[in-house]
Amino acid sequence: MMRNLALALVAVTGLTAASAAEAADQLTLQLKWVTQGQFAGYYVAKDKGFYEEVDLDVEIKPGGPDIAPPQVIAGGGADVIVEWMPAALASREKGVPLVNIAQVFEKSGMMLTCRKDSGIVDPKTDFPGRTLGVWFYGNEYPFLSWMATLGIPTEGGPDGVTVLKQGFNVDPLLQRQADCISTMTYNEYGQVLDAGIKEEDLTVFKYEDQGVATLEDGLYTTEENLADPEMADKLARFVKASIKGWEYAAANPDEAAEIVLENDATGAQTEAHQQRMVREIAKLIGSGGEKGIGYLDPADYERTVKVLLSGGSDPVISKEPTGAWTHDIFEAAQN
Amino acid sequence: MSGRLGIGLLLTALLLAGCWWALGQVHTGPVGAPFWLVICVLLVVAWFAMDRLASISGWSRLVPIMFGAWLLFLWEVAVIGFQVPRVLLPAPSAIGSVFVASLDMLRADFVQTFVRAVIPGWVMGCGSGFLVALLIDRSPFLQRGLLPIGNLVSALPIIGVAPIMVMWFGFDWQSKAAVVVIMTFFPMLVNTTAGLTQTSAIERDLMHSYAASYWQTLLALRLPAAMPFIFNGLKINATLALIGALVAEFFGTPIVGMGFRISTEVGRMNLDLVWATIAVAALAGSLSYALLAAIERMVTFWHPSYRRQR
Repeated sequence: MMRNLALALVAVTGLTAASAAEAADQLTLQLKWVTQGQFAGYYVAKDKGFYEEVDLDVEIKPGGPDIAPPQVIAGGGADVIVEWMPAALASREKGVPLVNIAQVFEKSGMMLTCRKDSGIVDPKTDFPGRTLGVWFYGNEYPFLSWMATLGIPTEGGPDGVTVLKQGFNVDPLLQRQADCISTMTYNEYGQVLDAGIKEEDLTVFKYEDQGVATLEDGLYTTEENLADPEMADKLARFVKASIKGWEYAAANPDEAAEIVLENDATGAQTEAHQQRMVREIAKLIGSGGEKGIGYLDPADYERTVKVLLSGGSDPVISKEPTGAWTHDIFEAAQN
Repeated sequence: MSGRLGIGLLLTALLLAGCWWALGQVHTGPVGAPFWLVICVLLVVAWFAMDRLASISGWSRLVPIMFGAWLLFLWEVAVIGFQVPRVLLPAPSAIGSVFVASLDMLRADFVQTFVRAVIPGWVMGCGSGFLVALLIDRSPFLQRGLLPIGNLVSALPIIGVAPIMVMWFGFDWQSKAAVVVIMTFFPMLVNTTAGLTQTSAIERDLMHSYAASYWQTLLALRLPAAMPFIFNGLKINATLALIGALVAEFFGTPIVGMGFRISTEVGRMNLDLVWATIAVAALAGSLSYALLAAIERMVTFWHPSYRRQR
């Protein structure tokens, strides 16, 4: 009797140990946009088994124009999200306590692209009276802040600029409906070139160069998740494997583009486009300085907050946030 | 009768007091299980109060208002009581205060979207649909040729058409009005065409025996008979036009308009402002529908569905 019980006990413990070894920890990542090279590092980490190595089973959810990652994480649909800092800080002020745990993109890829024949050389003197295409959905703040720095009103008229809410294409520039449009180095700029306009016929103003760049793709989770040691450990492993994925993607852009295409359920992306995107993204990720990819430089954070607080009459955040970032997860991921 | 009214009013008073108390509770601090028990009791009270009042003529008009207010109350209590984040669902009180605080902006958005895009688009779409229906009515060749094409146009997805219209007509309200025209044309065409077939052969023969011309028959007999159908088209289009204009603004606009506001403020996580704009859209939609229904009543007073109510 005793022996049978002991045997059964051994069998049960053995079973649970075995199943624990098989079933990796679940984690859900919500992307900011559709499946594309912008997120290559995560797809590479999944495809190459980097997540498995750290005992994680990561589900990658693509986003889209109608998906706001902060809403997804607030509703419990994700554990970690890719988001731009303006939107993340705005959500934080509105009651979703998002915390930056790793800053994947070191530089901003946003720029204003103008046709050279429009005669725009210097933003300060040449912008007044022009029509500029700007993305909204929380991405307008760097622009508004830039105009505020230059002292150009955005309500139109001869002294100000007329702002158009630009859709997700480059037609306004091609059709000359706008003198300049917003582009990302890794996406729309390439579309302008594909449309047959040569690089030498374009004038570009990078937000990075104008001192009004805000931090783009970073990884965010909630304060609640961070307070849970088990979750914090999972997140650290996730960041570690994701960084590895990004390093691999940057070193092998063509293979990374291939992996992205395999994961694109919509089939909307093309190979050449994705290869170019991964290469451009690699430039934005940079080396992360001496700390490596994913390290949030507090100075960049401060600059982003300053830009957001000075966004004209209707700033994206009304007060300086506290506790909106942590190095804890990043440091844990280094071990 | 008066007893039932008395019970109804008593229950309503009880309900109001209960709701007042619950709102005070939920706004002062966290609430526990007993609070939700009270809400359940209120639910039963509300049911009986509205049930009583609904069966008493004269008072039954109050019921829809009570029901709406009750839903708002539940929304408010649930959102605040369960501490739902503002970016998921703001409380009605938050939406209300933002609504009042941004009246100027909401007015500018309303003028841009409703007055500049929806109304002209609706008039042009319905007008052309009506005229083409008359043409089709006269010519069998057009009937064969134009109807399928109209059908095709109506099947075009709006998210495909809107960016093209922006390309053709620019960013301002003209492109939104164009989308509205495309969306409203076909329902009007089909309804008018169907309406024109509503007269019986005996009525048309009578007109013929009076030696009435085509136009005389049309004006005196066939168009009046088609009115219920025409108004049906107009009413369907009133809601379609608003949807079309709002969605079209997602694909590029000047920085004013209801669709622009919704898509932008979602990105800024100002969901209370989004709901305030949605409220404006809902009000505008229902009011234009009600206006059309009232005009329809005046124009088609002879119709059997109204006759017995007179």
